[in-house]
Amino acid sequence: MSAISFATTEAPEVLVQRQTSSGRIAMTLAVLGVVAVATMPWWASTGTIRSILVLCCYIAVAQMWNLLAGYAGLVSVGQQAFMGAAGYALFVLAQTYGVNPFAAVFLSLLVPAVLAVPLYLLLHRLDGPYFSIGTWVVAEVFRLVASNLPIVNFGAGMSLRVMKDYSAFERNVAMSLLCAAMLLLTVGGSYWLLRSRYGLALIAMRDNPVAAASQGVNVAKLRFLIYVASAVGCGLAGAIYFMAQLRITPGSAFDPMWANVAIFIVMVGGIGSIEGVLIGALIFFIADRWFGEYGATYFVVLGLMTLLVALYARTGIWGLISKRWDAPWFPIRRKLVDPNRQ
Amino acid sequence: MQWFDALVQGILLGGMYAQYALGMALMFGVMRIVNISHGDLVILLSLIGISMATAWGLAPVSVLIILVPLAVLMGWVLQKLVLNRVVGSDPLPSLIATFGLSIALQNLMLQIWSANSRSLPGHGIESQSIEIGGIYIGLLPLIVLAVATGLTWGVDLMLKHTRFGRALRAASSDVEAAAMTGINPRAVYALATAVAVGILGFAAVFQSLRSTVAPADGPAQLIYAFEAVIIGGMGAVWGAFLGSMVLGISQAIGFRIDPGFGVLAGHIVFLIVLATRPQGLFGKAST
Repeated sequence: MSAISFATTEAPEVLVQRQTSSGRIAMTLAVLGVVAVATMPWWASTGTIRSILVLCCYIAVAQMWNLLAGYAGLVSVGQQAFMGAAGYALFVLAQTYGVNPFAAVFLSLLVPAVLAVPLYLLLHRLDGPYFSIGTWVVAEVFRLVASNLPIVNFGAGMSLRVMKDYSAFERNVAMSLLCAAMLLLTVGGSYWLLRSRYGLALIAMRDNPVAAASQGVNVAKLRFLIYVASAVGCGLAGAIYFMAQLRITPGSAFDPMWANVAIFIVMVGGIGSIEGVLIGALIFFIADRWFGEYGATYFVVLGLMTLLVALYARTGIWGLISKRWDAPWFPIRRKLVDPNRQ
Repeated sequence: MQWFDALVQGILLGGMYAQYALGMALMFGVMRIVNISHGDLVILLSLIGISMATAWGLAPVSVLIILVPLAVLMGWVLQKLVLNRVVGSDPLPSLIATFGLSIALQNLMLQIWSANSRSLPGHGIESQSIEIGGIYIGLLPLIVLAVATGLTWGVDLMLKHTRFGRALRAASSDVEAAAMTGINPRAVYALATAVAVGILGFAAVFQSLRSTVAPADGPAQLIYAFEAVIIGGMGAVWGAFLGSMVLGISQAIGFRIDPGFGVLAGHIVFLIVLATRPQGLFGKAST
């Protein structure tokens, strides 16, 4: 028996290139953008801050939906359940128990995190499309429970009167900082996640869950973690949104409109990419300002656009752009470069 | 006696839900597609029926005779234009496409018919009742239940004994193998959706006779149909029928306990079934 000897080959020295020049430009702009959001009280009017806050909530909710549907393959139409749950938790903590409202925003995130665990264990038993409607039923259950629950004042809803203890400027500072933190956590956090080891697993799962599982990716566990993370992200958006609204009712807290918004933004912008979420959110935000007054007709167009994208352009606007120009804003690829050949 | 009455009313309510659930079970069984605009189609057909009845003074039976062929046509067009392009192993495209369609339909109906609730004039049939052993049973709910039973029975027979039914079952168990034996899956799918939406034509007439309809009512009907299918167990059409009965009884008993609790009671029974018997009460456990 002779041992088979392998030729000793040295691994060629390569550099792993993870950033591109387009990525560097975009990263600079993104940092500037977050700084601009955080410093809004010093340059923007209260009205502008309100609008930017809504835009930030759109981006956060859409990115959470994108993580779920785009990477984990979990198409949810009920993320508003977690937005409303965290919003209500904030109101109860701050208004009923007198917790500092800004601390309560973060405390209230425990509620969606704790609720998401048993809900996922229930819902993941449902097959493909039935999972989606299951998430919707859960959001409806939350709405009906809130309408019957004395601690949240039944269907009449609650007001956040404690906010009057703070001056308008103080509130604006808090809102702006919360918005910046939300962007960092949802978009920045997703970008960090996608560039990490888990990112490789997630992208493998996005492309083919069965093949990913065969390569050692724990698909079931990853899906569970993404579901909980997305619940917390949506909860943060809900808490901030309803804190700015100062009022919450079962109808507004668990409004299916949010599923609508997230699906439109992600599908039109481009599913499975952070760039798509930013493009889609900006388009939806502008469309909402310009055409919102047309009411029902505007929603007919929105619905038909979602339908057409699903039929003819599944990769959305970012998909069309990235096919033409290879210039990602948030590069997540690992490119091997041989320094001797350059 | 009060609870027995709730039970009877629940079964009668279940007859209404069975008419929605049947089409959903059929479409999911064959194509693994859930049409999110399922409930909105019922509402659209109802509103068309009500408008026809008021414009031409038609009786409910005439509305039914016009509405069912119209529904069949709608289903066929839906399949040709939309669903055939999104059918496949990935559930995302079909969900998104029908979700967009649902938003568009709801708002289009809002534009045409306004947000008001309407109902179909039944010329007295909606208020007639029969007394059996001290319980008054509405004639109309009884007809609804009878029609639901007849439709379920008919679909079951069709699946078991007709050429189309065999093609349908073949396509649902293995679409590629079925295609190899000479079945055209797209044609089978188009017919299946036409039948499923055609049944919604019946549901539309009975829904608008029994209660009122408004453009925003669709999603609730979709959710009831879905719950009935999951409670009953996927696969068999009788599962969807029995699931509808369970859902109807849960809601009727819930309404007796507290009027604000009725719909929630149905959701809770659905969640309990999902937690304890995910294959459905009447479904076989899959391996």
